[in-house]
Amino acid sequence: MFDIRMKDHGEVALSGRFDAAQVEKARSVFDQLTTTTVVDFKELDYISSAGLGVLMATQKRLKDAGHKLRLKNVTGHIRDVFNIARFDLIFDIE
Amino acid sequence: MEKKFKRDLRSLEKVFDFIDNFIAKQGIDHSIKNAVYLAIDELFTNMVRYHPKNRNDISLALKKEKNKVIIRLIDRDVEPFDITKSKDPNIQASLDERSPGGLGIYLTKNVVDNIQYEYRDRTSIITLTKNLGRKNV
Repeated sequence: MFDIRMKDHGEVALSGRFDAAQVEKARSVFDQLTTTTVVDFKELDYISSAGLGVLMATQKRLKDAGHKLRLKNVTGHIRDVFNIARFDLIFDIE
Repeated sequence: MEKKFKRDLRSLEKVFDFIDNFIAKQGIDHSIKNAVYLAIDELFTNMVRYHPKNRNDISLALKKEKNKVIIRLIDRDVEPFDITKSKDPNIQASLDERSPGGLGIYLTKNVVDNIQYEYRDRTSIITLTKNLGRKNV
């Protein structure tokens, strides 16, 4: 079960499994972002390339406006996938 | 274990459940789970996306052999697409130059130990081998 929610202080929190079936749900939040935003991966168990695609598209859009995503609590499986995809080159990972 | 899944991204939850059952029944270390999820998820998703009008289900078979897991995905009445020959994305490129295209197969290649592709009678058969004990994602 995938979930995405905005925390009170403006962070985006992801949880569950972020696969291709969840892209629309994720975009409904990421597409609303207009400024530099922290994304918390603490409760996300799994991510596929579809999830990476949403993050990459959002990063490109925000960069054009002088903003970016900052990723935090990236551990375990998520960290390994980011390493393979070399997301460390295109994201600030706290 | 073998099962057919409806050609729909909403089938992914059932695919994950099927993998969970296989791992539990075979007594396989759970550290392999996300690597198997990822390899199958990426290929299944491609099969759904590339042939959306095809009404055939997609078959998934999982088998444990000694210290390996053998994964086989079978897609019937489709055009050939040899994933072993797909070009890797440039993951060193700048953000402006990068696109998500090709990342799924690249991830799959990185989390399994062998990939074989066969195409006959308009059927794609992809066989993945995952060695147990290897560091997993």
